[in-house]
Amino acid sequence: MAATSPDLRADAGAAPANGGFLGWFLAPERRGALLVTPALAVLFIMNIFPLLWSFGLSFFNFRANRQGVPDFVGLRFYERVLTDDDVWQRFQTTAVIVGSSVVLQLIIGFLLALMFAKEFPLRRILLMLVLTPMMLSFVSVGVFFKFYYEPTFGLVSWVVNHFTDERFVMLATPAGAIAGIVVADAWMWSPFVMLLVLAGLVSVPRYLYEAAEIDRASWWRRFSTITFPYIKSLLLLAVLFRTIETFKLFDVVYIITSGGPGTSTETIAVYVYRMAFQFFRTSQASALAYIVLFVVIVLTSLYLYAVRRRAEEVS
Amino acid sequence: MENLGRRLVPGASLALVLAALGGATAAHAADITITMAAPDWPPTRFMKEEFDRSYKSPDGNDTKLDMDFIPWPSFYERVAASLTSGEQKYQMIVTDSQWLGSFVEGGYYLDLTEKMKADPELTAIMRDLHPTLISAYSTYPHKTTQQVKDAGEWPAPNVHYYGFPQFPDTYVTYYRKDLFCNEKEQKNFQDKYGEKLPCTYDDWENVDWVMWKKIGEFFRRKKGDPLGDDTAKDDFYGIAYQAGKGYDFSTMQINAFIWQRGGSIWDETKEPEGQAEGVVNSDVAVAALEDYLSMVPLMPPVAKTGQMDIFVEQDLYMQGKVAAMVDWVGLGEPVLDPKTSTVSDVSAFGPAPGTKKDDGTIDRTGNIGGQPFVLTTWNSDEVVKEALNVVKWWLKPDTQMKFAANGGQSGLMSVMADPKYDTLRPWNRAHKEMLEWQRDVWHIPEFFELLTQQQEEFDKAITGQIGAKEALDSVAKFQQETLEDAGRIE
Amino acid sequence: MATVTTPTPVRSPTKAKMRLPRRRQEIGKAGWGWTAFVGLVSMVYFFPVLWIILTAFKSRTDAFAIPPKLFFTPTLDNFVSVFYRASISGGSQQTDFPLYFFNSIFIAGLSVLIAIVLGTLAAYAFSRFPLKGTDTYMFIILTTRMMPPIVAIIPIFLMFRLTGLSGTYFGIILLYTAFNIPFSVWLVKSFFDELNPEVEDAARMDGATEGRVFFGVCLPQVLAGLAATFVFGLILTWNEFLFALLLTGVETRTVPVAMARTLGGEVGVDYGLLAAIVTLFLIPIFFVTFLLQNQLLRGITFGTVKR
Repeated sequence: MAATSPDLRADAGAAPANGGFLGWFLAPERRGALLVTPALAVLFIMNIFPLLWSFGLSFFNFRANRQGVPDFVGLRFYERVLTDDDVWQRFQTTAVIVGSSVVLQLIIGFLLALMFAKEFPLRRILLMLVLTPMMLSFVSVGVFFKFYYEPTFGLVSWVVNHFTDERFVMLATPAGAIAGIVVADAWMWSPFVMLLVLAGLVSVPRYLYEAAEIDRASWWRRFSTITFPYIKSLLLLAVLFRTIETFKLFDVVYIITSGGPGTSTETIAVYVYRMAFQFFRTSQASALAYIVLFVVIVLTSLYLYAVRRRAEEVS
Repeated sequence: MENLGRRLVPGASLALVLAALGGATAAHAADITITMAAPDWPPTRFMKEEFDRSYKSPDGNDTKLDMDFIPWPSFYERVAASLTSGEQKYQMIVTDSQWLGSFVEGGYYLDLTEKMKADPELTAIMRDLHPTLISAYSTYPHKTTQQVKDAGEWPAPNVHYYGFPQFPDTYVTYYRKDLFCNEKEQKNFQDKYGEKLPCTYDDWENVDWVMWKKIGEFFRRKKGDPLGDDTAKDDFYGIAYQAGKGYDFSTMQINAFIWQRGGSIWDETKEPEGQAEGVVNSDVAVAALEDYLSMVPLMPPVAKTGQMDIFVEQDLYMQGKVAAMVDWVGLGEPVLDPKTSTVSDVSAFGPAPGTKKDDGTIDRTGNIGGQPFVLTTWNSDEVVKEALNVVKWWLKPDTQMKFAANGGQSGLMSVMADPKYDTLRPWNRAHKEMLEWQRDVWHIPEFFELLTQQQEEFDKAITGQIGAKEALDSVAKFQQETLEDAGRIE
Repeated sequence: MATVTTPTPVRSPTKAKMRLPRRRQEIGKAGWGWTAFVGLVSMVYFFPVLWIILTAFKSRTDAFAIPPKLFFTPTLDNFVSVFYRASISGGSQQTDFPLYFFNSIFIAGLSVLIAIVLGTLAAYAFSRFPLKGTDTYMFIILTTRMMPPIVAIIPIFLMFRLTGLSGTYFGIILLYTAFNIPFSVWLVKSFFDELNPEVEDAARMDGATEGRVFFGVCLPQVLAGLAATFVFGLILTWNEFLFALLLTGVETRTVPVAMARTLGGEVGVDYGLLAAIVTLFLIPIFFVTFLLQNQLLRGITFGTVKR
């Protein structure tokens, strides 16, 4: 979709009366490109160039802890990564964690947003309490949640121990360990979903509700016909946003379970990290990283597609 | 060997004084800064403090030791990143012995063999070092302690040396003497098992894993049960040893079980004939792992999560939840500090349990801990010379004695032979005894791959997902493939 | 009303001005009763954070106490040990924490600011002078932000190795700038899109230069948006650990990296000390967020959602 009326402004900028260096510099035919260049340059140097580099690297056999010239191996590492059962297992683990965490974030975030979608005393301060988890570092969230789950000293275990005969040992099973990670991550990022939903909720025109009240519509009917249409797309945005972000989950997993029991909580991010930094399989890690990037790009496209569709609906 | 070492040191220091005088008259002092990557903990903190207090360059240089204290949990990542990125920032590095292969083959750690041989002081130091420490901390490709001993007087031909001990570490038994020496408990234990509950150091000399397991069963108390002269305020457990998934927090203990029973891990000194399959998963090794696993349920519940790492067991012990544990000497100081520990005044130390042999002796073979420090390859001759001066200063008996007095351990046999050494810290006797039994895990560049996979399999076994046999079969298969790929097994 | 930007929709001049006052009326009102309910739920949600803050004032034994201690004799020891550490051989010495704190503020603040400056220029261009393929550029920019940091680590690492950027302020700031640019562009662009172009055109008619239009007319109208971008960028940069760990040196180390010293060494996690650092480190970001809270509602969606 292109701008519909840039002509007037472009003409004004080109007028000699508006000259001066800046005017020349921002001449219509090049100012767009010029203004964009610095940002793109930084991105290119720090992001895109290194990515291309590692893309090249993924076709060679290079290890950062070995000397000598790397051999060209073509697609061998891609083949190896794609046929590696371990990799698929890590992707599945990641999918389970991402899926359940995002669902939980949606539910909690939605309920929190409902709470704050009113004007009431101390709203700003109470909202800050709920927003704080987002401001903590992953490391501290990981460390303290692990502490809360600890069966002897932990707060969570202490509470649960009042209701069970057996000691509550949350992280002993794969399911428990996944739950432990998901709860920590969902707690940290539900406020993000809350803010998104809140943005939608406060935008519902009040008169719609008033009209519904006159019609004595049920709660569910009001929700499904008035509220939901306004937040539908926002929810979709939240899903995609959080999916992409949770895909990156690393520190929390590494600290709470270090991938255990066994490999049952080892996410793809942890796996890439091990491969690159502990095993020094630099090239293989690059190949895997590219497959991850591919997945992320697909998700990003979905995200943008969703956004565009929303835009069309509205306009 | 020991006497010779001691004889040589005074002579060498005379030469050192002369050299210093000569250097001073030549008046060609240089400003040298040695940046050293060091984990952030007391042994390295002490090195820095003592350096600032007492180091004087024999060459008259104005030398600064600039320690980059890096938090332990991210130490490996930081060092690996610095080395492989080629920033050439560090002149000296404190390193886990297992990383030697990776960073020697990467071309980052300096081969010191010729310099050690050419310098009589360094030769004297090497001859005074405990052979286990030379084996684990200095040789690459790796030589076993036995090979180091068999080679006779240092240096052995065709062996390359890289590191010096910064902090030698072994694991020992920490125990609550208020419980183990308690009369009621003593009597109850005698009644139940017909054996004496170990109380003194000499008693602990006789403790094997069978006894250890009995201790684990015996001291298992529910909240409110009698414990010592009191009642247990919380659930109480008898034993703990490392069974954690992180880094090497189960391998270090499992290796001990395997070695003590005559089993073996893949032996890098037998490359390329030494196999992994059939060795790593031998019946002996499987039985050893089964024995190790059989005691996990007796430990505090966190063991079920596979997170009983060396710090978790230390915390449980310090907070009075466990009667005895096997842990590194390097974690001992906080146990004696009332600020961090509730059992500071009732703790005592003994050798770690072992396996009773047919002849009645106990085999305590264990996996050595601690760290050597090394030099890097990109330094000028002047810096290398000064860095070696720092090595000599650190491994002077005087410095080492001060280190030991402040909670460190020495690797010099002359220092350990000093009767005063045993009394400096309560665990020194046990540490010295354990040092005789140490071996080390692999040093090859593939170390981390082997370790990570193994830790994962052990973790599955510890958390009850698979059995010992299945775990070791998988470990053996992986090691066989990985090492064949790397050309280390033919 | 929530809408989504795609490049430069045209809107009526009155719409933007009407929006703010009208929204206030759209929000339902509730009294102290609701405050009590929300307060209760918020406190439950806040509890893990509260427990961290309480732990900062506890001795190690109290931190481990079972049953957990809600009431205890508070100690400032942990805060003291953030700034001073005991020497092995007696006495105490200062830690470098003030330097790390400064580094965190300096590196995060400056990189977010630079990102906003560059991002604003680019956003202005994308909004007002769309290039051919603007959508593609915007997509590529977004992709770099969505990329898991783990993917970028290896090559960035190798590049720092070649250029000698490791351990310098310049290197880490440039890197964080790059990570902040994408959402700066997206967010600020959405603010520009929302402005009424007729105001700018009127200024041009009056003979204003392009520079004056940008600085005098457009920029002042999006200050709130820039503030939101700043807060959001700060939250994301403030706690960054992996790159800081690998690419900063002794002098440029940030608090999250230094925090790791409390995670193990001679004892396991030093919960009290970690909690003290977390608490101190929370203060600046908390206040910045509080002050710019209303803008955050916009910033959170990277500018793709508009009200």
